[in-house]
Amino acid sequence: MALRAVRALGATWAPLPALPALRRPRAAPLPPPLRARTLGPTALLILARKYTDKHEWISVENGIGTVGISNFAQEALGDVVYCSLPEVGTKLNKQDEFGALESVKAASELYSPLTGEVTEINIALADNPGLVNKSCYNDGWLIKMTVDSPSELDELMNEDAYEKYIKSIED
Amino acid sequence: MKNMVIRASLKNWFQLFYVHKFPAAGFKTTADGAIILQSVSNDIYQNLAVEDWIHDNINLENMQVLFLWRNLSTVVIGRHQNPWQECNLKMMRQKNIKLARRRSGGGTVYHDLGNINLTFFTSKKKYERMENLKLVVKALKCLRPQLDVHATDRCDLLLNRNFKISGSAAKLGRTAYHHCTLLCSADRFLLSSVLKSPYKGIKSNATPSVPASVKNLFEEDPTLTCQIVMDAIAAEYAIYHQIDHHVTLINPADETVFPGINNKTKELQTWEWIYGKTPKFSISTCFNMVYKHSFLEVKVDMDVKHGRIEVCNINLPEEWLPPALCGELEKNLIGSKFCPSETTALASALLRSCPQDYEVHRRWNLFCENMTTTLM
Repeated sequence: MALRAVRALGATWAPLPALPALRRPRAAPLPPPLRARTLGPTALLILARKYTDKHEWISVENGIGTVGISNFAQEALGDVVYCSLPEVGTKLNKQDEFGALESVKAASELYSPLTGEVTEINIALADNPGLVNKSCYNDGWLIKMTVDSPSELDELMNEDAYEKYIKSIED
Repeated sequence: MKNMVIRASLKNWFQLFYVHKFPAAGFKTTADGAIILQSVSNDIYQNLAVEDWIHDNINLENMQVLFLWRNLSTVVIGRHQNPWQECNLKMMRQKNIKLARRRSGGGTVYHDLGNINLTFFTSKKKYERMENLKLVVKALKCLRPQLDVHATDRCDLLLNRNFKISGSAAKLGRTAYHHCTLLCSADRFLLSSVLKSPYKGIKSNATPSVPASVKNLFEEDPTLTCQIVMDAIAAEYAIYHQIDHHVTLINPADETVFPGINNKTKELQTWEWIYGKTPKFSISTCFNMVYKHSFLEVKVDMDVKHGRIEVCNINLPEEWLPPALCGELEKNLIGSKFCPSETTALASALLRSCPQDYEVHRRWNLFCENMTTTLM
């Protein structure tokens, strides 16, 4: 009786949603942890890396942001064969196209994570565009720029949020 | 309801998919749809502008577009290429063959009315070049089952294993597009001559083309015309996306359907885009002139950035021309466009400031003509 009752109850329950399949752990290495540094008595903060939904990252130090593309982006892109970067002094608004990376798969636009002015470009990429693939968070940086509206940083994703974002689009 | 092709006018259809009016989150479509467009224009700049316009204005999250187009004689270089390295600009000027730079990557191609261009627009997530090419191969095999056509992992299409009939390029921006050529009945001999650069001594990190032997489908089967092939590809696309086999003709000059497109067309024709976007390069070369039984060697070193001369060194045989005049030329060339008409104009202007010496004028003209012909 009791069993029958349980079964009857079971019949009216909605089936439990299937558990999402366990995902294969990402082959990509975790980005290296940011170093903390102290400069004299006033420790100047390196703000943690922030990400855009277009897979650029920016890391701000002393008011200057270094911009690159994420590991997810460089994997998707394939071998980079050419980096088209803006001139130093170019003024960019957030989400402006500031250049392109050409790989064997496509020419891929680059979008500015923030509003600011380009202060430096990575000239090593002219002869060695593959640095973007080999070292996307370090030697493969693209440009450095001023941060004209620091509040724009709050609109970007932190490490965790970006990881979640990647998982959601991989579906 | 798979068939999303709206029977209303094209303008109304586009309005439903404008990026800015309908943020992806808020716009609900019942299902994925697709549409096939064919350009009535044979102008490369207008057709490239259509690609730009669709990329910038249409929300492709739930919609895909196939765009069919052909152009009159044109050489099209990739986004980061150097036209001086890729083609014979001199011959193109003589034969009135246009030069265009597209926004996608990849190498240099020659278009004429015997070549079909196909652009597959999708969301970035659905970007799949091989799928597109498989569709093209399937269409061709449906037409002519005996045809030996296959796609390589470089995203080329080969005929009879050896001959390239199609090359691909792509752009990933807000959305994605993959476009490819398809040689049906193009002028293969003109193609080979025009895609051979005569310019020597160029050092550049621009993306190079990979030369290949090409063939036309028409040479394999004379009944394969561009129209037949385009129809077959459209039919296959329609089957794949479960839509009507309906090809919508579009006029790329129509601002009511494509608001803002004429600005895009203009930008694609500017010198700054076509030549000025060339990655920085240097030239180190020499050429010979024959003058009155003398054999003279001239050495030229230049750096060109954004298509303009940044550094200029010209070494002429001593005293053959007044050194002050040559020095002035070197100085004046800096900042000027790396372009035969601009260089010739500058050189002529300098000569006018010179005393009327027939001999000097004659030598100067010979020198300038040789320099522009050899380098530009």
